[in-house]
Amino acid sequence: MSTKTPTSFEEMDCAFPSSLAEALDLMADESTRGRPLAGGTDLMVQWESGVVNRPERSISVKGLPELMGISEAGDELVIGSGVTHMQLRSSDLVQKHVPSLAEAATTVGGFQIQTMGTVGGSVANASPAGDLAPSLLITEGRVVVANREREREIPVTEFWQGYRKIDLQPDELIIRFHLPKKSAESREYWRKLGPRRAQAISKVMGSCRGQVLDGQIQSFRVAIGSVAATCVRLTGIEEWLLNRPLNESTLAEVEKRVTEEVQPIDDIRSTADYRRWVTGRMVRGFLENWLEPA
Amino acid sequence: MKIKRTWIINGEKLEAEVPPMRRFLDVLREDLQLKGTKEGCGEGECGACTVIVNGETVLSCLLAAGQVPDGATVTTVEGLEKTLGGKVLQAAYIEKGAAQCGFCIPGMIVSSYALLSRNPTTDAAQIREAHAGNICRCTGYDKIVEAIQSAAEQWPVEAKG
Ligand SMILES: Cc1cc2nc3c(=O)[nH]c(=O)nc-3n(C[C@H](O)[C@H](O)[C@H](O)COP(=O)(O)OP(=O)(O)OC[C@H]3O[C@@H](n4cnc5c(N)ncnc54)[C@H](O)[C@@H]3O)c2cc1C
Ligand code: FES
Ligand code: FES
Repeated sequence: MSTKTPTSFEEMDCAFPSSLAEALDLMADESTRGRPLAGGTDLMVQWESGVVNRPERSISVKGLPELMGISEAGDELVIGSGVTHMQLRSSDLVQKHVPSLAEAATTVGGFQIQTMGTVGGSVANASPAGDLAPSLLITEGRVVVANREREREIPVTEFWQGYRKIDLQPDELIIRFHLPKKSAESREYWRKLGPRRAQAISKVMGSCRGQVLDGQIQSFRVAIGSVAATCVRLTGIEEWLLNRPLNESTLAEVEKRVTEEVQPIDDIRSTADYRRWVTGRMVRGFLENWLEPA
Repeated sequence: MKIKRTWIINGEKLEAEVPPMRRFLDVLREDLQLKGTKEGCGEGECGACTVIVNGETVLSCLLAAGQVPDGATVTTVEGLEKTLGGKVLQAAYIEKGAAQCGFCIPGMIVSSYALLSRNPTTDAAQIREAHAGNICRCTGYDKIVEAIQSAAEQWPVEAKG
């Protein structure tokens, strides 16, 4: 392979396979492999701004039929990696079974970003501020990736390995997500804090799924983004909350424990102290929802 | 390397041969001289480059030309004038004084057209949400929302659906 780096969009090559098999064939061989391009809402910006060098070749996976669609399989939802944020938020199945994910999708960018951007792109981009990550994590679902030879399943909780680092081989594509549905008795909540309602990168955002019976916490999962190199589950908090009564002393204690458990950083969007405080308030706020009727 | 695509742009069939990753914005503005579509930021933030592809609003600055599928129907601000709904919207924007410098307006009104074509009985909250990806630094948005509400009330039957 030559090492010429294109300096304009016009110098870049792109393949347009018409099936997943064709796309995986191209990915299999180094001479035909290219950067997977879905909605382009991350990549086109990164290339235009020069944050990332333009590759010689991309492979458009946008709209590949095998990557589209949202369906049910028993206790799980199956969501194609090519599903857009707009399709996600509009889906009755997602609204019903993983409602925090549908809600998160409504807060991604504006309508134009939602019609272009995809779940697969958001997950692969692996920004700690990616808005879909918390809801994917709390389902404890699986990511299915494939190369030409085989499929491989990875728990969502292990897919993001570090800052913008994912468990994906160079010849693989993300195919779909299997997300266990919430039970009828459990509830989910989503919260995003940013400078303005739309078009803004989150300062802190998170989702939770839980169940409270007769004032006692039966189960609780919570994931928070933008407070670490990847979106994180607060497992220490989750364990501590199990079987506790949902009352003011639990709420006060959990808020304190959250500010101790998270290890955020200062950056251009916010300070570590603010993020720690806000995360505590957010988890407390999630739990307070159960004090009101659903 | 170039790819061939046939598109219906503002009602006219066009056979294009373009570099696959050329921004669709540049195809529209430079190759086709459709300069109504504006480039504000070039990074997806402002919405000035909004066009409609197969019924959905997209940002042409983030769209590779090759990703506009063969046979796609494309509507730019120039195409709106040819439609009843577009005329109603234009008149409403003018009547309500919804444009100041005007730079955001082509993208804004394209978003308005897409919204009302889908849902002419929209309310102010839905209007604001559907235009959240279109930034206007002049008007403060209130007059734009009023214009769209006024257009919604007069939305022509022919343009519905
Ligand atoms: C103005 C603006 C506002 C935004 N606002 C938000 C926001 O509020 N919240 C938020 O979370 N994000 C936001 N984003 C980021 C972005 O929209 C999302 O991350 C988006 O979903 C990315 O999806 P895409 O399909 O456009 O990805 P692309 O840009 O096409 O690709 C992103 C990455 O994913 C890889 N990829 C794509 N598909 C696959 C696949 N099937 N298999 C393997 N790798 C793949 C690509 O190679 C690339 O590395 C915003 C972006 C812009 C420009
Ligand atoms: S020019 Fe495309 S969003 Fe600003
Ligand atoms: S009228 Fe000037 S930016 Fe909107």
